[in-house]
Amino acid sequence: PGAGASLRLCSTRVAQEGLNKPVIDRIIRVDHAGEYGANRIYAGQMAVLGRSSVGPIIQQMWNQEKDHLKKFNELMVAYRVRPTVLLPFWNVAGFVLGAGSALLGRKGAMACTVAVEESISEHYNNQIRTLIEEDPEKYKELLQVIKQFRDEEQEHHDIGLEHDAEATPAYSVLKTAIQLGCRAAIFLSERI
Amino acid sequence: QHYPPLRALQASAALRRASDEHKKEPLTSSSQQHFDSPPAGHQPEQKPQGPRPSYTGQGGQESEDYESEEQLQHRILTAALEFVPEHGWTAEAIAEGAKTLGLSVAAAGMFHSDGSELILHFVSECNSRLSELLEKEQKLVQLGEAEKKPIDEFLRDAVEARLRMLIPYIEKWPQALSVLLLPRNIPSSLNLLTSMIDDIWHYAGDQSTDFNWYTRRAVLTGIYNTTELVMMQDSSPGFEDTWRFLENRVADAMTMSNTASQVQSTGEAVVQGLMGAAVTVSN
Repeated sequence: PGAGASLRLCSTRVAQEGLNKPVIDRIIRVDHAGEYGANRIYAGQMAVLGRSSVGPIIQQMWNQEKDHLKKFNELMVAYRVRPTVLLPFWNVAGFVLGAGSALLGRKGAMACTVAVEESISEHYNNQIRTLIEEDPEKYKELLQVIKQFRDEEQEHHDIGLEHDAEATPAYSVLKTAIQLGCRAAIFLSERI
Repeated sequence: QHYPPLRALQASAALRRASDEHKKEPLTSSSQQHFDSPPAGHQPEQKPQGPRPSYTGQGGQESEDYESEEQLQHRILTAALEFVPEHGWTAEAIAEGAKTLGLSVAAAGMFHSDGSELILHFVSECNSRLSELLEKEQKLVQLGEAEKKPIDEFLRDAVEARLRMLIPYIEKWPQALSVLLLPRNIPSSLNLLTSMIDDIWHYAGDQSTDFNWYTRRAVLTGIYNTTELVMMQDSSPGFEDTWRFLENRVADAMTMSNTASQVQSTGEAVVQGLMGAAVTVSN
């Protein structure tokens, strides 16, 4: 997109006084990175399995992730949060993970989905806990958004299980490796 | 932004008392002690813990005109700016500033001798003024009382407005720049620079949430820094050479970004063409 595409008349903003800026910064930055990565994972899976029988299901989950990313884009501008420097890296890594797991077959793609969505759900739960500890009233809107997204990611996780994710060869190894990668990605995106 | 006080609180408390000669309060032995031991070297930071110690004869006047050490330092540094053109970013300027506030010249002892805090204070104040200016402009646009500027004009005007704040101190600014580059000051000065650039882009209407966020800020930082350096060397009337340089750099940046998006769309078109050719050939 050209330079003009992301410039608007007046920036929509959230009043910054009284917010725990460092905590909010991290939360929004890492969530944005996560949804961006999830988008790319599904894009990779669709590239391989788009025309198969699971195509429509992956497409549907991908559409929901697109909505999530859109929401975090808005929140990022509203709270004036810096995106993670690693975005170009997550772009490639996410696609490669999605395509790679899809090359293992339908069950492989589903296993990847289960692993990633489980990581993300746990991560969102941690954030919900942090925000509630801080001040549930002040962060009500953000809490609502994260809770809703967590529920939807949980749905994706369940869909993955329904589609024989666990029947993938080397399921537990694959799952552990992917979740380790997710945890590293979360750690880095919060900081850089 | 606040810069933590580097010396003990007693110093400032004693200074105020020492200079309150017109009040003709007898100095007690304890306050005399504080005044006689000027802070030397790096003392650990001490913040007031609850009510300040009351010295005999001072009565209850403290609670009314109590101000924090930070506020006091802020006032001294602001007053000192007036003397920078003459004395440079030095302890002398700070001492003169303290004098105008009715404080003892020993107040300059609260700060580093290279003028770091004075310079950082100045930069911070300029940035705040810029933010207020941009906020006001934005309100006018929102109310429909002003036209929204095109992006290059906005950036140009914002950078020019910020650099113009240096004009009264331009003779001594090269000295300030070198102090800001001291390793000790780099975290603070970098922080101030990045938040200023971020502010300008925010008011320019930047809504990027991808790597563009970084590219734009890096480019604007480059423009700002190079223009600042040009300004140091500029002897043209009204710094017109500097503003022309700024205009050219901003125009370059716009051209670069347009070229980049053109290259990208050309690339995409070429790829699509090749895919189409491949499909045709395979059929």
